[in-house]
Amino acid sequence: MSIFYILLTLAIGAYFIAVVESWAVHGRFSLSRPAFSALALFGRESILARTPDRLFFESAPVLLLVAGLLTMAVIPLAPGLIITDLATGALFLNAALAYVLVALIMAGWGPNGGYAMIGGWRFLGQFIAYAMLIVMPITAVAMRAESLSTTLIVLSQAELWNVFYQPLGFVLFWIAAMGLAWLPPLDLPNAPGELAGGFEAEYTGARLAVLRLARMVIILALAGAIVTFYLGGWLGPWLPDWLWSVIKMLIVTTLMLTTGRLVPRVRESYFLAAGWKLGIPLALANIFLVGVIALVVDI
Amino acid sequence: MIVELSVALSVGAGLFAVGLYGALSQTNLVMIMMGIELILAAALVNLVAFWRYLHPDVISGQMFVLIVMTVMAVEMAVGFGIAVARFRSRGSVEMEEARELKG
Amino acid sequence: MTGSYAELFFLVFFGLAAVWFGIVVFRTHSMVRSAMALLFSQTAVGAMFLVMQTEFLGVLQLMMMATEMSIMALFMVMFMMDPGGMGAMDMSHQKRLSLRAGGIGLVAALAVSWLPDWGPAASNIPDAGRQVELLGIELLGRSMFIFESAGLTILTSMIAATMVAIAPRKKEGAA
Repeated sequence: MSIFYILLTLAIGAYFIAVVESWAVHGRFSLSRPAFSALALFGRESILARTPDRLFFESAPVLLLVAGLLTMAVIPLAPGLIITDLATGALFLNAALAYVLVALIMAGWGPNGGYAMIGGWRFLGQFIAYAMLIVMPITAVAMRAESLSTTLIVLSQAELWNVFYQPLGFVLFWIAAMGLAWLPPLDLPNAPGELAGGFEAEYTGARLAVLRLARMVIILALAGAIVTFYLGGWLGPWLPDWLWSVIKMLIVTTLMLTTGRLVPRVRESYFLAAGWKLGIPLALANIFLVGVIALVVDI
Repeated sequence: MIVELSVALSVGAGLFAVGLYGALSQTNLVMIMMGIELILAAALVNLVAFWRYLHPDVISGQMFVLIVMTVMAVEMAVGFGIAVARFRSRGSVEMEEARELKG
Repeated sequence: MTGSYAELFFLVFFGLAAVWFGIVVFRTHSMVRSAMALLFSQTAVGAMFLVMQTEFLGVLQLMMMATEMSIMALFMVMFMMDPGGMGAMDMSHQKRLSLRAGGIGLVAALAVSWLPDWGPAASNIPDAGRQVELLGIELLGRSMFIFESAGLTILTSMIAATMVAIAPRKKEGAA
């Protein structure tokens, strides 16, 4: 039964993301635009490249969707409302997100085209910059909760949310999450103005619909991860648990989609230098600080 | 006669054989390293199978697996560093052409 | 039959998948397909770990190998002559020797797997959360020295690999 609720949340959340993203891109708020454009995508002709690597080309959007769904499977919306409460849930979330990288490499190599290939390898280059920034803040969060289970991580924030306890980790994880979902300003892989759409350009018709749906599921799952690890999951005063989770996830998603567009696109060399020279020492300092505070203070 | 243990060890045997064939028969350094990765994966499967079916109360078995995973990562890093250096100086990483030290 | 049929079935399924993907690594002509096949072979090994109820190790294997093999795919495209595989070149040598070595290794390992009597199967496996706790206590207790030295080794190898891979910079004004 909880699978049904979570899939319903995913569907409504994905539609909400589509509405917000079209508002951010086109400047006009329209509740029905995503539905019509999805229908139009299914009706359009699907243009194939001349000699694609069919195996990679076809399976990349599906693998992306599977990775997003697996990530969502360990995110708790309420104390019992989780698809699978693994004891190593936080690490499993990470493992599922690593397959976004695999899917994008396949999507880049599959169409046998220049722009797509460059987009795919750019995603790998960016991923190397923030790969550690995804794992290390989770380490600090798990240190406080003394467990890797996502439910226990949420419960450990009953007195003080992690965003106030570990703000450094919050910022680093937010940036890494935006990079993982290739949102602006870290959207070099599909660089709409520069790379003619990157790897998304070679997908048309129904495959593009699956790719876009997969991307929305990944954005929602990453927002769910941020809410679970840092914003206290379902904890809140008057409303029911799952409503708090959904509201927080939608607020995080809106912020991720809209605020990034105000900053120019980050160049890969800058991002790599910043990620390794600034990000990793900050993440290590975060772990150290959290360790010291956890030993001294009693929260 | 633990059937699952023998099945897991057979999988390890198969991966080891494929990895050994690859490491010995390939000429490119990157392909040789892929063969070595398969051999190490076979070792990991065997370690976990032995831990699970014979000694699940001793956690050092899993510790050994963590060390082997660390070794895999380190060996890949250093190996690819050497490959980059060789490619830069010679233009290829083919092991057939690496005869400078041959007697 | 010690456990359930499901465990045996999934062990066989993921094991066959791992070995089959491993064979695809060396049979295919496309280099990126080879790297992706190795990735999915390691994924099958990680799934086997999950079936054998070592949840932490399985998840760790899945996560690490996805990233490592993707980087290996990048290196394949950098260093191989024919990354797309359209040329269908045969890039191997000493085939008979390596087939014989692989065959002997396979027979020896299979003999060790199936012939001895390994004794009774153990059944008191700690559950996943307890395993993570035990690993942590072991890491910071008995094995702390090993992991400290492993950490130092990793740091040294990172510095060494970076130094080996950096292109030598030409000095200003030198001949």
